[in-house]
This record gives sequence, structure tokens and C-alpha cells, in this order.
Amino acid sequence: MSKKMITTPKRQLTFIVDLNKCIGCQTCTVACKKLWSTAPGQDFMYWRNVETTPGLGYPKNWQSKGGGYKNGMLQTDGHYPTLDEYGVPFKYDFAARLFEGKKGSVKPSPEPRWAPNWDEDQGVGEYPNNIFQYLPRMCNHCENPACLEACPNDAIYKRAEDGLNIVNLEKCKGAQECIKACPYGKVYFNETDQKANKCIGCFPRIEKGVAPACVAQCVGRAMHVGFIDDVESSVYKLANVWKVAIPMHPEFGTKPNVLYIPPFVGPAMQDENGNMMMTQKMPLDVLQGLFGPEVGGVLAVLKAERAKKIAGQGSKLMDTMIGELSDSMMISPMT
Amino acid sequence: MNKFGSTRRGFLKAMGQVSLGMLVNGSIVMRTLAQTKDPMMQHDYTGWENFHREQWSWDKKTRGTHLVNCTGSCPHFVYTKNGVVMREEQSKDMPKLNGVPEYNPRGCNKGECATDYIYSSHRIKYPLIRVGERGEGKWRRVSWDEALEYVANGIVDTLKNDASDCISVYTPVPAVSPVSFAAGHRFASFIGGHTHTFFDWYADHPTGQTQTQGFQGDTCETADWYNGRTILMWGANSAQTRIPDAHFLQEAVLNGSKMYVISPDFNSTATKADVFVPIKPGTDAALALGMVNVIVKEKLYEEHHLKEQTDLPFLIRTDTKMYLREADMVKGGSKEKFYTWDTKTKKPVLMKGSWGEEPEMKAKIQPPFMGRNTLTFPDGYLELGDLDPALEGTFKVKLADGEKIKVQPVFEAYKPKLNEYTPEKVSKITGVAPSVIIQMARDFAMNKPSMIIMGAGTNHWYWSDTTMRTFLLLCAMTGNEGYNGTGVNHYVGQWKPTPLPGVGKLSFPLGANKHRFCQTTIWTYYHGNVYDAMENENIDTAKYLRESLKSGQMPLFPENGRDPKVFICYRSNWLNNAKGLDYVLRNLWPKLNLTVNLNIRMDSTALYSDVVLPSAHWYEKTDLSMNEEHTFIHMTEPAIAPLWESKTDWEIFALLSKKMGEVAKKKGYTKYFDEKFNIERDLTKLYDQQIDGGKLATDEQACQFVLDNAPQTHGITLEMIRKEGPQRFKSNWSSPMKEGVPYTPFQHFIQKKKPWPTLTGREQFYIDHPTFFDLGVEFPVYKTPVNADQYPLRFSTPHNRHSVQSNWKDNILTLRLQRGGPMCEISPVDAKARGIKDNDWIEVWNDHGKTMVRCKIRNGMQAGMVSMHHEPELYMGKFGGENTQNPLPIRINPTSLVGNYAHLKFRANYYGPGGVQRDTRVEIRRYTGSVTAGLTAAATQNEKDISHV
Repeated sequence: MSKKMITTPKRQLTFIVDLNKCIGCQTCTVACKKLWSTAPGQDFMYWRNVETTPGLGYPKNWQSKGGGYKNGMLQTDGHYPTLDEYGVPFKYDFAARLFEGKKGSVKPSPEPRWAPNWDEDQGVGEYPNNIFQYLPRMCNHCENPACLEACPNDAIYKRAEDGLNIVNLEKCKGAQECIKACPYGKVYFNETDQKANKCIGCFPRIEKGVAPACVAQCVGRAMHVGFIDDVESSVYKLANVWKVAIPMHPEFGTKPNVLYIPPFVGPAMQDENGNMMMTQKMPLDVLQGLFGPEVGGVLAVLKAERAKKIAGQGSKLMDTMIGELSDSMMISPMT
Repeated sequence: MNKFGSTRRGFLKAMGQVSLGMLVNGSIVMRTLAQTKDPMMQHDYTGWENFHREQWSWDKKTRGTHLVNCTGSCPHFVYTKNGVVMREEQSKDMPKLNGVPEYNPRGCNKGECATDYIYSSHRIKYPLIRVGERGEGKWRRVSWDEALEYVANGIVDTLKNDASDCISVYTPVPAVSPVSFAAGHRFASFIGGHTHTFFDWYADHPTGQTQTQGFQGDTCETADWYNGRTILMWGANSAQTRIPDAHFLQEAVLNGSKMYVISPDFNSTATKADVFVPIKPGTDAALALGMVNVIVKEKLYEEHHLKEQTDLPFLIRTDTKMYLREADMVKGGSKEKFYTWDTKTKKPVLMKGSWGEEPEMKAKIQPPFMGRNTLTFPDGYLELGDLDPALEGTFKVKLADGEKIKVQPVFEAYKPKLNEYTPEKVSKITGVAPSVIIQMARDFAMNKPSMIIMGAGTNHWYWSDTTMRTFLLLCAMTGNEGYNGTGVNHYVGQWKPTPLPGVGKLSFPLGANKHRFCQTTIWTYYHGNVYDAMENENIDTAKYLRESLKSGQMPLFPENGRDPKVFICYRSNWLNNAKGLDYVLRNLWPKLNLTVNLNIRMDSTALYSDVVLPSAHWYEKTDLSMNEEHTFIHMTEPAIAPLWESKTDWEIFALLSKKMGEVAKKKGYTKYFDEKFNIERDLTKLYDQQIDGGKLATDEQACQFVLDNAPQTHGITLEMIRKEGPQRFKSNWSSPMKEGVPYTPFQHFIQKKKPWPTLTGREQFYIDHPTFFDLGVEFPVYKTPVNADQYPLRFSTPHNRHSVQSNWKDNILTLRLQRGGPMCEISPVDAKARGIKDNDWIEVWNDHGKTMVRCKIRNGMQAGMVSMHHEPELYMGKFGGENTQNPLPIRINPTSLVGNYAHLKFRANYYGPGGVQRDTRVEIRRYTGSVTAGLTAAATQNEKDISHV
């Protein structure tokens, strides 16, 4: 097990992403980027990103990058993503073409070969039975944070007041072990100031009772956030009462505090004549690959509850997911 | 500054010189205005974590929104620190309606980085006058005085040497910023120039709705989507193009609604559907009629509703195919009164409420009642009472001249056509399985309320008017209209400036009947000499157009065969979005002696202009915002003063008016007589008129003027919006506003039973006009999409999630979340057949033009079609000077040239030819280094064929 003592927070903030509501619009990506990572050296990093799955993701092939825990042991040989795998941030010279009469067109430089959302909407399979799904990702603020344990400089800590895992920029010496250790590829290295950068859970907002940008600004209303010990919170109900919110890649062993409600709505497969079949397009094994063996049971609960709604009966689970009032999905959305 | 102050460096750089003044004055105040409640515990505010706390801080918070044509109208707060706009965030204070999820947060990926346009490198900072060729990007920086004098000289010279209607102002979409919109229209009104239509030109106008319901358009607010139990997303991809509203669909699905997504590609919205209906492009009307066929066969239609609300029981003569009119039956009878067959008395009976009838108190023709205003008819006017109109049967009547003829109800006459659309036959046309058609029809008729949400995917076709008529028929047949959760709901373009009387009064101060409204599609087609290849479809566009213009059914400016001379464009990237772009650049643009552009950024239209004037960003001025997707009005206000030398559009047109007076005096040409309207125009009074003697001197005054002068917003003040947030409209277009209830249209007709504003006073599915007979569309039928371009692939130009037309197509943040530039999406099948690999450069071409972009292979694409997201900037393709619009010709459906049929008449943005994009066909191939020769030569040759109409 962990060699380090990890603070047990007094309270733990939990995020839930409802994949039935995420529309892949990138509003959270942009909201996060504009608030936290616009400084030099941060161009390539998206603390929050939304990718298309199945797909290679951001950074490319992160799902097999290694790190995390195996049999309780920290894996220190994780892959260190290259800038090519994140996507080299391309630039444009608008001024030369538009104001200085330079000939030709304005093109990105260097020539784009990969980017954080490169394989957007591509997915796999043959039309009309092809599949794709959106997958928002951020730091999981894990209970067993591999990044924290891997840091030789004790620069990463779990905040006692909300359980958010933060890189202390005063202590960070740029060892970059955290980047190799995080199996989700969610710690980044800022070459400019030689520090590790990652999602801070919008702790300044949390301290003022305001939901994080990716939650409060989620226009798809697909995000929940709250303290998991708050029995009135939607995160408590979804994770602990209905047990429909589960971690992604539980086998990585870090015990994420960002959970997902797996996608259970979606069209059926069609036979060669276009008749609808009984099986859903999104195959169970794809979802099991992301969320582990538990996912089948979760889907069954969700389908049964929606069936009640279809039959004109009530479902408290569906109502919680619908979230008529944003206030019921998060600590206050208001700034 | 602490040692992590890298953000601070970027911050200082971004501040530029304007804010440096503030630094010198020592006005840096780091004060967080966030809520001060501390729900957890006291934090250590002294440690290093303050670095991040300071990143989320501001010293000024203002209201803001994004004045672009995206239909969002999303209220935001804008956060400013030390005079630098740091970021924006949805204000989340839209009031909640009953029983539906709230609208908050409202604002998408583009809205959350709108700040970028303030500080971007293509911001226009100073007035510029072109020194190179148009489009070259070579400029001379000039003073405001010099720029305005240059423009005023050009206008006065044109007034003197040509005519006032050679001058036009193009600025679209009042809903997104009515004051900016009004500035140019007001200017054009006073000088006697013309403005342009846009709703039709953009192909956003629901022409079929005007034909059937006599309305410019009306639709439910999107909160009402949640109330639909069966929802058909038809050519609408809300997850990409209606991002702030999309959640209502996902929430409706969780609430037990059944959602069908009918689309030729497996799109983002389809991933959330219960049923994905993969349809062949352009065959939507056949699918709708297949559903109607099932509904008729299984008798799932609402008979009473059809008899009361539609023209289906109205009698048609079997000999002439015309409606049986009172004039046929009675000497001196009206040609605008019609009969039904009463099954009780077995006699023809006149139907109440048709065009030939006037209420005791006649209502004013005003938007959106632009053909006929029926609101002063008493409630219950359409009630049938003892009358039981026949829907079926053939009857004999004796005409006034003694002749005996046979007549049939519209429904009876229509039935043989409807019977043709069996699920099996429709399946062959559409590619949709009969089992799916039948299930969808049953759900729509029985799992109610049911609604259709339609978008550009079905509205951008040559025959989209006829397609929409079939959608409306589907709703009328099943009684799915006029109640929450029902209707054909159309969201293409931000088209609903609900307080139109106020907007109109500000924009057209002399009255709409003393303003020149130019129909933009015709203007562009004519002056651009656009070739439409419609002879391949045996449709002679020129013949219909000539007839329409000659008889004055549609307008053409300038009049008397003159060429356009001055084009002032703002709030639009007109050149960049012009269909027939090659023709426009070659033929129309050179006719213009002076092209003026007011802009925030150097877009393509600005780049190809002679004078460019720097305009204030959305966060640097005051204006209003609204749309059709919600029923609230809100505002933007200055977070900072206009940067560099930019000014608000309202101010720019005021200054131009002033300069016009000065120049007119200098040239000794101060007055002229406008014969068309019998107005003596005095240029020395222009400034005073523009600002109404000082009553409309500021943007704020103009905003309040709009609010005060419309019943929908009377009583709302800017201050109320500023303090309390978005305000709900007091009244609306075709239904009453009810507190807490989502707005859904047409209750005045369906619930209050006033006549519809059509010829028959009903939802009118039969149009007995010669042009409609000619084209075989007197009934709503399926017409094969136009295949005039003899190329193998259907060319679709949808919107996507990363941009709003050309807006944000140049934003670095959004480009990095794509592939960095324009792309064309193709299916793996079509790619393989042409040896094209993902991300290759490809040429996309037909006889009209070509464009070169990257290709993206997407599994969700149907073979036989390609999609290129609408309208990248002309300077962002492979070589520049090309985008989606090059392969698109302008195609005018003759039905939209009709202006002599009761409710079908030209009114700006109410009825007239639209854009037709989706029927285009192209070929693609991998770009191998040499440019395909001879492509434009073919087009030039054909161009002569249409010459001038």
C-alpha cells in the first residue's frame, strides 16, 4: 500500500458526470481553460477536456499510459506523454495576412498532426451502426492519489477541508514523477516555469460556496458536485443511494472522486433492412472497458427507473438526474 | 507579483496601452466580489494558495452577451480586473418556468471565450482605407474624420450622380442587437437608400409556415421541448447547433419522452436518441407523408380538429382544380370566400373567417401579421357550431351561370396522392424501414403531446417549403399544435425580435411603407449574374423571376436597370456567406464603387472592403438581446470603454450623418426629392433626424426607446434588466404569455379560434396558384431533391459546435479543439473509393466553384454525401479566397416569387426567395499539388445563358 500517509480529508468533494446528458460541446473545456490555464507554458494543457470515445483521447493513448496502482503497488514506470501526444498548440499569423498584405492564407503553424479533440465524433463501427460517445475528463482528486505518492518533494497534498488534491507550486521542484504516476494523464508539466500543473478543483470557488467552473458552466447540465457526506446532495444520492455513479477505470487503483453515470440512453442496432433490433448500439464491452464489470448492473437500474417514467410513474433517480433546479445538482452555481 | 506570476505576464501583455493608464493612476484594486459565505471552515488565506484565489478575482462585474446570430441570446456576467476583461460566465439568473428544468446556465463554448475577440490580433483598431487591391490586406491608417469624409463623399456623389437606391446597408437579425441593427436601417431610411432582407437569404425563413399558416414564423420556447412526449428531431442537431437548449431534450428523455433523430448522418444528438432514423438526404417530405399515410389508413387523425382548423374540408372544383369561390356561386360574390359541404344539410356552406371577411374593427398589419392581421376577430369565430363539414366525398353544385360541376373537399382530392406514400414505397425513397415509419407514425399520433423540432437540415433545400408543409400536415392531422409540447418548431437563425414594433419604429422612422426593402436573394442572383443550372431540372428560373419583377410581386433594387454602387455592411460577414461566391466576386462586387465595413475584427467582408471602421466589441457597448428560444429580454453593457479607436455602431452612424451634412454643404448638394415616396430629403438635417434632436443620442436611449415602444416590453427598463436580470416578455406573437408557463405558438387560432391569417382563414395545405400548379406542389407532396449539378456527392454545409457561421472560425482556442482549419467530412466508403486518407488536403468542386480543405473521415457519415461546416473565412482555406460558398449557386424556387396570392406577398423577411444550399452536388479528390484546371471556365460560359432577366 501507500508508503506515504495521505491526509484523510474532513470532507470529500465529489464530482459526477452524467454521460447521458453530456453533449460534447466543450463549454467546460473552454470555461476551465479561460479561468486557469492561459499563462505561458500552459497552451497545450487542458485540465478539463472532453474527448470522443472510443478514441485515442488526450493525451493520445492515455488509457494505456501506465501509472496508478497494481496490487496496491504504485507503478513508477508510467509513460511520460510527449508534446506530440498532447498536440502541439498551433499558432496563426492573422496580422500579417490581414493588415500587412502578406499573400496566401492564414494557416496553423506548425502543421497540425494531433490535437486534444482530434478524433472528435469519429468513433468506431460502420454506419448506421457506428458508435461514439463523449467523455469529459479532469483530475479525479483520488483517494489514493498516485501523483501525490510519487512526488519526491512532497509538493502534492490533499486539502483537509475538501479533499482536493493540489500541487503546491512553491514546493514543486519539477521532478515530473507525478506525470508518470497519474494513470489518467491529468498532471501536466509547464516547461516555462518548470512546475507540475493540474486541476485545482476550483478550490477558490469552493471556498466561497460556488461550484467549480466545469460544473457551474456546464450548459448541458450534466455535472453534479457536492460533499459526499451531505446526504441531501445529489452526489450522495447518485453514488451512495442509487449507486449509479461509478469511477472510470477502477482497475487503476487510485479510487477517483470523479464518478460517471454510464450512458444508458441511445439508439438500437439496426438490421440490414433498417429494422430496429433489441440490442443497443453502444456495446456493453465498450462500457465495461471504461467502467469495469459493475457497469451492467448500473445500466439495469437506470433502465428500470426510466421505464417507470415512460409508464407515467415517478422516479426519484430520474428526477435527480434531470435536476430541475441547478441548485439541487451542486453547491451554488451563482457567482 | 509572486514567483508564479506567469499569468500576470500574459495579463500585462493583454492589457495593452489602454490599461497602462490605469496602472499609472494606481487604481489597481484586487478585490474579490464573490459571495462571502464560507460554508466549510475558515481557510488559511495567507499561504501560497492565494495565488490561485487571485486568479479568480475581479474588480468589476457587468452584464454581457454575444451579439451574434446563433439563436442563443445567453445572459452573462463579464468580469474585469484593472480595466482588462478577464473572462465571462453565464449569469444564471434566468427565471425558472413551472414543471420544466431551468434555462441556466445558458452559454456555450463560444460564449465562454467571447473575450478573445476584444484582444485578438485581428481586432480592428483604427479606421482604415484600402491602399492595395480589395482583399489584399494593405491599408492606410486614417483618422475618423478622414474615414467618414471618404464615406460621405462616396454617398453624396452617388445621390447626386446616380440614385439613392444605388446605396444599400446590409445588417441582419435585429434580435441580437436591435440598436446596432437600427442604426444603419435608420440611416438608410433617411437618405432613401435600401436595406436588405436576410432571414430569407440565409434560408432560415420557414417558407412552408408562411404558405400554410400565414406567419413569418413562430415557435415554442425551448423549455417546452421538455413537455413533448414524442419528439422528432428533424434535420436539427441541437447538441451541436443549439447547445444552450440541448439539455431539455436529454432531460425529456430521462423524463420518459421518446426521441427520434431523423438525420442522414449519425450525429451528436442521435447518440442520445431512442431511435436513430438514417434517412437519405433530402427525402424528408416522403417520410412525413409515409407517416400521414399510416395515420390516415389507421384513422389516427383528429377529425374535428381538421374540420375546424384546416382547409381540408374546403371544396375544390374538379374541373378547374381551383377552390370553389363565392364568386363562382353568386353573382358579385367574393373571390376570397370559400365553401365546405355540410353533411347535415347536404349543401355547400360558406366557411367563416376567410380573407374576404373583415372583422368589425380592422387590425393593423404589423409584424408578424404581415399578410393579414386577424386578431380583432372575436374568439370562437372558427367554431363549427351545427355545421359538420365533409372531409370526403364528391358533390355536385350549381354555379351562378347555371353550370353544374363536381366539387370535392381538399382532403378527398388529396387522398389519392396520400395513398401513394405507402410505408413500402416511402422506404424505397428514404431508406427508412417500413417498421420504423409505422412505429413513428403511431407514436406521433398516440404518445402525445408530440412535436417536431426542425432545423437547417430540412430548411435549406430547394423544396424545403413543401417539406415543411408536410410536417405541418402531420401535426394538424394529429392535433399536435397549439398546446404545450406540440407543434412544428423551427429554429434556424435568431429570427424573433419579439418587441418588433419598437425595433421597427427605431429602424424605419418614416414608416415601413416609406422604406426601400431589397430582397437580397434576388439582388445577389441578378447583380451577380449567377448561373443556377436549373435547366437540368426543366425549371426556367428566369421566366418566373421576370414575371415576378415585372408585375411588382418582388422588388429589385436599384430600379430602372441601374447597378448597385455603395454597399455598407456591418454585423454580418456578407461576402463570406454569399452563395454563388465566385459569381459575386466576379460580377457583383466590382459593380460597387464603395464598400464600407464596420467591424470588430478583420473578417472576409472587411478584408474585401474599401473603408473599414472599428466597431465596439459586445462588452464595450449597451444593447439588447433576445431570440425565439426563450421569452426573456436582456442586455449587454460596457465592461470597458471601446478599445483603441472603436466606437459603437449607433455612434458611428450618428457621426456619419453629421459628416454627410458637412460634405453635402461643401458639394453644394444638400437636398433632393425622392419621387417614390414623395419626400424632400435634406442632408443637412440628417444628423438631427438620426439622433432625433438628441432624444436618441446614446445607445442607452435607443435601447429604452425599443423597450418603450413595443407592447411586449412596455414597462421594462434597462435599469430593471441591469439589476434584476432577464425580463420576460409581457405579450407575444401568436399566443398569450402565461406566468410560469413555457410559450407555445398559435393559441390565438387553435384555442381562441380566431381565423388564421391565410387566404382561407385556416391552416392552408392547398394553394391554388398557377405557379404551384406548374411545379406540382398545390398539395404538400414529396419532390426529389434538385440534381442540377451533375456530380456524384451531395454537398451539405451544416453548422457545427465550434463556431457561429464565420464567427469563432478564426478563434485560436476553438480551432485547437478541432484540427486547426476548415474541414470537409466524408464517409469511409467515399474516401476509400477515391484513395483519400484522413486529414488529406482535398479539392471539393462543381461547375460553380471549388474549395480546398482538409478532409476528415467520419464513420457517422452516409456514403454519397459530404459535409463541410458552413463558411470558414476566405483567408483560411488552402490558398485563400475560397470557402463553402464557392460550390453553392443561388437557386430560386419559383414558389417563393409569388406575391399576388393573399397571404403570399413580398414583405421583408416574411416572404421571398431564400437560400438553397443542400441540393448542391460536388466531386472531391485528393489534392496532389496541381490545381484542377478549367473549372471556372465552364461556369463563365454558362453564365451568359441567364444574361439579364
